[in-house]
Formats: sequence, C-alpha cells, structure tokens
Amino acid sequence: MDLMKSIAIAASGLRAQAGRMQVISENIANADSTATQPGGDPYRRKIVTFQSEMDRALGARLVALGTVRPDASDFQVKSEPGHPAADANGNVKYPNVNPLIEMADFRDAQRSYSANVNVINATRAMIARTLDILKS
Amino acid sequence: MPIPSVAANAYANVARLGDAAAGLGTAGTAAGVAGAADASSFGALLKDALGQVTEAGHRSDAQTRAMVAGKADMVDVVTAVSETEAAVETMVAVRNKVIEAYQSIMSMPI
Repeated sequence: MDLMKSIAIAASGLRAQAGRMQVISENIANADSTATQPGGDPYRRKIVTFQSEMDRALGARLVALGTVRPDASDFQVKSEPGHPAADANGNVKYPNVNPLIEMADFRDAQRSYSANVNVINATRAMIARTLDILKS
Repeated sequence: MPIPSVAANAYANVARLGDAAAGLGTAGTAAGVAGAADASSFGALLKDALGQVTEAGHRSDAQTRAMVAGKADMVDVVTAVSETEAAVETMVAVRNKVIEAYQSIMSMPI
C-alpha cells in the first residue's frame, strides 16, 4: 500500500535525523575534551553524511546515514601553560567544535525530524480519510 | 421472478467485495493463499482478514516488547503500531459494510 510506504520512507528520515542528533550531541559534549598527553590532539569534530539508499523490498529510495567523517579543519590553540595537555610552548589544542555551528546543525536536525513526523501524520490522516469512505 | 435475482445480485456483490478485501494487505502469506482459494465464502473472508490483522498485531506486539526490553527503535514501534491500526480499522470498516449489506438482504421483504 502506497500510504504505508510513505510512512516507511518518512520513518527512515526519522532514523537518519536521530543518528545525526547523536553525532551532534557527541560534538557538543566533547567541545572541551583535550588530549590526555602533553601536546596531543584533542577530540576532532565529526560530520554526518546522508545517502540515498534503494530499498528493494519497499521499492523506494530511503535515506540512510552515510559514513561519519572527521572534520579536517584546524584545532583552536589557546595558551594555557598550566594545563596537563599543554605542549612545550604552553599551548593547548582545543577541539575544532564551534558551539554556534552545532546549535545551527541541531536546529536543522530538529526541523527535518519534525518535517518527517508531519509527513507521517499527514499520511495517517489520509488513510483515515480513505477509510471514512467505507464508514459513511 | 425478479426478487430472487435481485437478492442473488446483492449476494454476488458481497462476494465480490469479499474478493477485493481478500486481496488487501500482504500477499503471499499462508492466510492470504487460503483465503484466495475460497474467497467467495463469507467465513473464509473474515478468517482471512482477521489473520492478516492478527499478524500485523503480532508484529507490533513484538516491536513493543523489544522496545520495553531496550532493543528496538522507537520509530520501528511507531510504524508497526500505525500499520496495525490501519489494518484493524480497515477490517472493522469492511466487516461493518459487509454486515450492513447482509442485514439489508435479510430485511428485504419477500
């Protein structure tokens, strides 16, 4: 049934956005995670990718989380000579996580999730309206 | 005599509705095959529809149990439950319609 297919497709969107939320929360939680060794690298920001995937049983293209890639941009360097992770010059590398970008990303994930939930609700309303023909 | 032929037509219509209803839902299940073999009988139709609805119900039950055990995705539970809901509502609507047709035949003055 096509309407049940729409629900399954929107559900794949929900799953993908939930996975994205997980990566974003990982980034935000680790925004201050420095290295444990002096001069070592801190937490590196992760970026999610999405990919379109053919579901043969369903006969539709679903969305799936692609590989989670590290963000190659530079770390922030702060001068904190007393820090356990400081190198010989007293510089500490902090993660390349910008909280503002993460906030924007998670708003985006939230909106996208809501859009998929709206699709599911609209589809269920269509199923109910179709059944109303039989009931009248 | 026109009246029995009208009643026969009405019955044929109900049987056709039964055929259409038997084609609903997932094809290829054991219940679906059994229903297709003898779709013209009302009992077989109801049994077939009930079998499909029960199957959908079992799926959503299994998902809910896995969810409570912390093994399932919430999205899977929601989709399974809404699929069951649609199946149950379709079955109830078809049953009501068929019984309505049956009653209108039974209350036909002969």
